Amino acid sequence: MKLERLTLENFRQYYGRQRIEFSKDSKRHVTVIHGVNGSGKTSMFIALNWCLYGKDVVENIGNLISKEAMQQIAPGELVQTSVELAFSHDEQKYIMRRSVAAVRQVDGTIEPYNNEEVIMKRIIASGEAKDELSPGTVINAILPANVRTYFLFDGEKIDNFARPEAVSEVKEAIYLVLRLEILDRARKHLKEMERRYLKDLVQTSGDAELNALEQQIKQEEVVQKQAETRYAEVQREIELARQRMTEIDQELREKAVVSQLQQEREQIEASAKVASKEQENLIEEIQTKTTSAYMIVASPIIAHALAILDDKRVKGQIPSNVRQQFVEDLLQRLVCICGRPFAEDGSEYKSLLTLLENSVPRSLENEVLDTNNQLLVFQANGDNRLSEIKRLMQQRVNVKERIQILEARLSELELQLEGSPLEDVRQLEKKRQHFQADVESYIVECSSLEGHIAKANKQIEKLTKEITQARKSSDKAKHLSRKLELAQQGAKAIDEKYQQTADDMRLQIEAKTNEIFKSLVWKDSHFQRVGLGPDYNLEVIDRYGTAARPELSAGERQVLSLSFITAMAQVSEEQAPLVMDTPFGRLSSHHRNSITANLPSLTSQLILFVTDEELRDEARQNLEPYIGAEYRLNFDDATGCTAIEEC
Amino acid sequence: MEQNEASRRDRVYIDDAVMDIYKALTDDPNPEQSPFATYKDIFLLAACLGFQHGRRKQLSSGARTTIRLDVFREEGLGLLKALAIADTGDVAVLQKLGDVLTIAEEYAHAGIYDIKAQLLDERGRPLWNLVGLLTS
Repeated sequence: MKLERLTLENFRQYYGRQRIEFSKDSKRHVTVIHGVNGSGKTSMFIALNWCLYGKDVVENIGNLISKEAMQQIAPGELVQTSVELAFSHDEQKYIMRRSVAAVRQVDGTIEPYNNEEVIMKRIIASGEAKDELSPGTVINAILPANVRTYFLFDGEKIDNFARPEAVSEVKEAIYLVLRLEILDRARKHLKEMERRYLKDLVQTSGDAELNALEQQIKQEEVVQKQAETRYAEVQREIELARQRMTEIDQELREKAVVSQLQQEREQIEASAKVASKEQENLIEEIQTKTTSAYMIVASPIIAHALAILDDKRVKGQIPSNVRQQFVEDLLQRLVCICGRPFAEDGSEYKSLLTLLENSVPRSLENEVLDTNNQLLVFQANGDNRLSEIKRLMQQRVNVKERIQILEARLSELELQLEGSPLEDVRQLEKKRQHFQADVESYIVECSSLEGHIAKANKQIEKLTKEITQARKSSDKAKHLSRKLELAQQGAKAIDEKYQQTADDMRLQIEAKTNEIFKSLVWKDSHFQRVGLGPDYNLEVIDRYGTAARPELSAGERQVLSLSFITAMAQVSEEQAPLVMDTPFGRLSSHHRNSITANLPSLTSQLILFVTDEELRDEARQNLEPYIGAEYRLNFDDATGCTAIEEC
Repeated sequence: MEQNEASRRDRVYIDDAVMDIYKALTDDPNPEQSPFATYKDIFLLAACLGFQHGRRKQLSSGARTTIRLDVFREEGLGLLKALAIADTGDVAVLQKLGDVLTIAEEYAHAGIYDIKAQLLDERGRPLWNLVGLLTS
């Protein structure tokens, strides 16, 4: 950044528009602005800061508007204060203008008219001006607000860095000016990511869980397959056994002696089957009735509730809408239903009123009537339900008896066949009973297998869901692990880089400060070197190898600070000008002389606000070859205004 | 009055502590084993039995299963109201649906143990135990 021109308009003691051109000459790059105390050096320094950063950044800015300008305007008129700065950076030219306006009231007071307004234009080669829509961002990229005080600095604060308690300020200056902040932010960000990934990872299941689930589902599938295979086998066995039984039945039917017995058996078996089915249906039917058992049990409760409702009706507390309206009408007309009038305080009137008051609120009437009707229906349903259950139970008893008779007859027939005098009949019947027993035990086995299969299916379904979930989780976990790893590596790398850069910067600044300090102090035989240790303590080491800062004079401390600042400006390669407000006021002539002899070579642009005392004799002569522009601030006691005069 | 009156007007609560009884009496595919088709039917019977035996029990503060009130619209709601009228001896309770439901829930929470004792803990199939209960 190179400052080119500063234009002030009604800014504090600068009434009207006044301009300063800073020296742009690469050899004569020093601009000196002279002024006695109170002539406006600090005001111009503030104007420069305000233009670049605004009142939110620049401290203790006070009132900016020229008092003279405020005097000159009539009520209702505006006074405008502005600072315009032209500068170049990276081969681009910029003009930035910050302004604020106030209006004079009728009573003479001045009220703010608007907030700060800032405009920035970039001048391109053709001379055309392009708007920069966010000037703050542009400036921050060129010279960040938080480092400005190291480049635009106040002579009053010059020894800040050399004070014994300045460790944190030195550290912060290095941190900010050398943009270690960027690395630090990246490091913090990655650490934060690392923490987040780690947290997510703990909540996400990994491969181990997935493997366990897959193992489980394999086991279940084996169980399921076994059961299914066996089920099919058993079904075939049942079929075979039944087939064999049919064949035996056929054989028995064909044997003349037992043919009748066998035929009767087949008939009875068919009847028993029908009766069984009938019984099954009955049970289901009974269940459909018993499920609403409450209807039957509720009967006394319903009766109780209906009695309460009835009682209300008898007492006239549940009148119909019509009746309530009717009573109200009678009361209003003061005439009885029989046509006889009655008095408002008479017993007829009171009786009707009581009737009305005791009746249920109208809003409840419908509810009560509805409930009453519902309950009447309910009661009837309950009674029906009970008689139906009784009827069904009777049917069930009948069916059961029928089945018993049929079964008894079947056993009898079996016994007869079993005990047949004919050997082959006996054998056949035995086989038949054998197959019958087989079928029965197969049926039991089947239902057990059905249970196993159903359980396995359920389990597989559940596991499949879990696996799908776990698979998602596992992928996510892998992804997270990778991210975590990257974040950790990144944080570690940045950490190392940060330490390395910080150390590197510190050593560079130490070397540079050392070099500059030595060139600025006259008794370099006494001081050996400047040290900037890992704790960021800025020290001057004397020839005995001990820290000499407590013994430094105020002037020497300023020189140390100045050395540090210029060293930092050089190391940072920030390309910023050095603007110093009364830098030498508190220095002895020795120091002034050596500083003025060396300072011009330390920076590409130097702007000095000085008093005549600060810059005379040898100091003046030292700077002379580098001065490219020189101004004097002439303060007029009578008007309180300063005029800028080029020397 | 119920603490969250407005939100519970469309729900009937059953304490989760007794849900295993409800499940045992509805889940089995064999009708002899599960004489009821729905939780609602059991709830209503439990409420009636609780009332008849004069036993009433507050629900615990633990988890609850809910039945939508719509399920009761057909017939059950009339019974719930009758129960509330019989319990309070007045019709005014009909204006407070929340109270009607709370009364039924508390009787049912006591009555369910009667159902368990008579249907599940007795010898025999629950269906025939229930028929016995109704016809005795």
